Amino acid sequence: MKVRSGALALVSACLVVTACSSSDSLKREKPTAPASVVDAAEAAALQAAGGKKVGGKVTMLGVLGGPELDAFKTVLAPFEKATGVDVQYEGTRDFAAVLQTQVDGGNPPDVVSTPAIGEMSGFAEKGELVDLRKVVGSDLLDANFSKSLLDTASVNGQVFGIFDTVDLGGLIWYDPQTYKGPTAPKSWAQLQAWAKQTARSGTTPWCVGLESGAASGWPAADWIDEILLHEAGPAFHKRWQEGKEPWTSPEVKKAFETYGGMVSDGMVYGGTTTALSTNFAKAANPMFASSPGCYLLQQATFMGGIITDGFPNLQPAKDLDFFPAPDFNPDYPAIRSVSGEIVGMINQTPQSVALVKYLATREAGTLIASTGRWLSPNKNVDQAIYRDPFLKKASGVLARAKGTYSLGNSLMPQTEVDAFWQAGLDYTKNPGDLDAILAKVEATR
Amino acid sequence: MIADRIQLLVLASVAIAVATVGYLRLGDRALNRLPQAWARRLVPWLFVGPALVAVGLVLVFPAISTVVLSLLNSNGTAFVGLDNYTSTLSNPVTQIALRNTALWVVLLPSLSVLVGLTIAVLVDRVAYGALVKAALFLPIAISAVAAGVIWTFMYDYQPPTANQTGTLNAIITTVPGTDPIAWIINEATNNYALIGATLWTQAGFAMIIFAAALRAIPEELQEAARLDGASEWKVFRHVTLPFLVPTVVVVMTTMTVIALKAFDIVYVMTNGRYGTDVLSTVMYRDLFTAKDNGVAGAVATILMVLVVPIMVFNLHQFRRESQKA
Repeated sequence: MKVRSGALALVSACLVVTACSSSDSLKREKPTAPASVVDAAEAAALQAAGGKKVGGKVTMLGVLGGPELDAFKTVLAPFEKATGVDVQYEGTRDFAAVLQTQVDGGNPPDVVSTPAIGEMSGFAEKGELVDLRKVVGSDLLDANFSKSLLDTASVNGQVFGIFDTVDLGGLIWYDPQTYKGPTAPKSWAQLQAWAKQTARSGTTPWCVGLESGAASGWPAADWIDEILLHEAGPAFHKRWQEGKEPWTSPEVKKAFETYGGMVSDGMVYGGTTTALSTNFAKAANPMFASSPGCYLLQQATFMGGIITDGFPNLQPAKDLDFFPAPDFNPDYPAIRSVSGEIVGMINQTPQSVALVKYLATREAGTLIASTGRWLSPNKNVDQAIYRDPFLKKASGVLARAKGTYSLGNSLMPQTEVDAFWQAGLDYTKNPGDLDAILAKVEATR
Repeated sequence: MIADRIQLLVLASVAIAVATVGYLRLGDRALNRLPQAWARRLVPWLFVGPALVAVGLVLVFPAISTVVLSLLNSNGTAFVGLDNYTSTLSNPVTQIALRNTALWVVLLPSLSVLVGLTIAVLVDRVAYGALVKAALFLPIAISAVAAGVIWTFMYDYQPPTANQTGTLNAIITTVPGTDPIAWIINEATNNYALIGATLWTQAGFAMIIFAAALRAIPEELQEAARLDGASEWKVFRHVTLPFLVPTVVVVMTTMTVIALKAFDIVYVMTNGRYGTDVLSTVMYRDLFTAKDNGVAGAVATILMVLVVPIMVFNLHQFRRESQKA
């Protein structure tokens, strides 16, 4: 797969970052990894370091902060303990700018972890990233990661990143106590028929929040991206992401219009002005009001954590649950989108090689899964490790998927991604200007 | 870890002090060996030398290299002449940014003078004046990012059916039949909303400057005017205001520079969405998102060209004032 040069950045960065940093009150029971899992991880770390305590340090630039960073550090802890290597993690929301500044200043981090796959791909094309096939070894990579995940973070036959965390996208969250619509709709049309009927009775069906600081608009872009994947199929979706199909093509236009059928006055809580000004992390709040303002919310797996952070008394499955997005097109049934963070290496040192090798092991993947925050990208991780009800369900959905694909906007250059976010907002505000809006995004290519 | 840092900090402070004293001592001794006429001519340079080097290193050199970059392509490998300027100036995004920057430059200085001067003049006449001054001055201590976040809450929008959590909308919806306004999304209000938030952080500064200037006006003059039967407005207009003209100029120019540099509040509150871009946000995106050093350099140069005359004027004014004093 040819990954385009350039940058994604905050798209999934926001998926993960904002998601996480907004969840400072972690009321949900914090899962701790079983001692046996930690011991196994320590053994794997020691092996990754060549069997000896190498000591020294690794600098790592990433996007995590708050409870999410704490969770990720529990994955790094066995490595630090077993190898004596000090992992110095620096988290920033402005990942692209900080990394660029450090690289330009001749002081890049040893290792990076980011959802900005397109951004990393640009660095890889310039030869700034180490080929992980060479330093980590194809045996370890091919044994633990699916071909599609490896291909996603490859350019010119070199693997520049391995996934360390995964989120499942395109989920529809609802409150089982109040939502009376279909929980396993056969098609998007069936779900929207219920939504329209609800709208006619005077209640808005959808909860939508598109505001996210400097990255506002990404929830709209992610969902339009997902709709396009389902409607036009993975092959078209890939050509579009690679720039071989224009933004002005009828398929893209249709995806925007499908989104517009859902995010429009009467269909979303408070109308589109409210959708534009509501922070994505607070989008679900009206769902849990004494008389619900809306019933359905579209968002990836991490939203479960955000909602239960805000409403700590909610019981997963009883008060909050999700179903995967129904099929939009019978030709492409049961396909799913995933996003996640990849780890890349800029400076090849014994310590950085050991760290990336360790993160590629099944044992580290198991630790990721047992944090209760992310799905593990490692295909050898025992699914029984998921104790969080949402993650357990999500891993089942992924296992039954007919195909999993990355969202296009996680692989595009950042300028195009920015324009996509902007287009999501502009279209929500002025649906009549669709042709001009799409032409504007096309012009950034 | 922290002990290490403190040790380093102490060492660095000592090293800098020793180096400074050493530089002056040695420089002085070297000059003394020269003929008297030479020494006298060189002494000033001994003292301004370090400052000149610092300014050259952190100001002149980056400014020149920015201008050079603006004439090169995106990664600085080829000369493209003025292409970056023509392309950015013909871009609708930059045109909107220029329009907004003009709006900022007109509104922020004039409103700061109006608010600062009015409060400075009135506040001396009431008993609770100190309290008002403190309230207006406090926002200066708040970082622009925090101010942006605070005003995002102030301008918050909730649907008409829900409770208004934003202060402004909570106030206007007390009038029956009034719908809340999405202040920072609605294109008719958003630029003014951003300028208003910046005004909140800057008006206190203007007020303090005016309050100080008012103190310097000889009270006898105002009293004499009052005795001659001048109304309060006439006293202000014909006696107080002429004394304040230089201060007005200083506040105006300072605020104009702040308006031209506007970035943080815009970045935090809208990031240039819905037609609120200013030149700095355009430059930031060209540099960090598009990674185009050429175009970013061109925008920075345009900004610099706009600021420099005001700075020169300001400096000129400052020098005239200090000569007078």
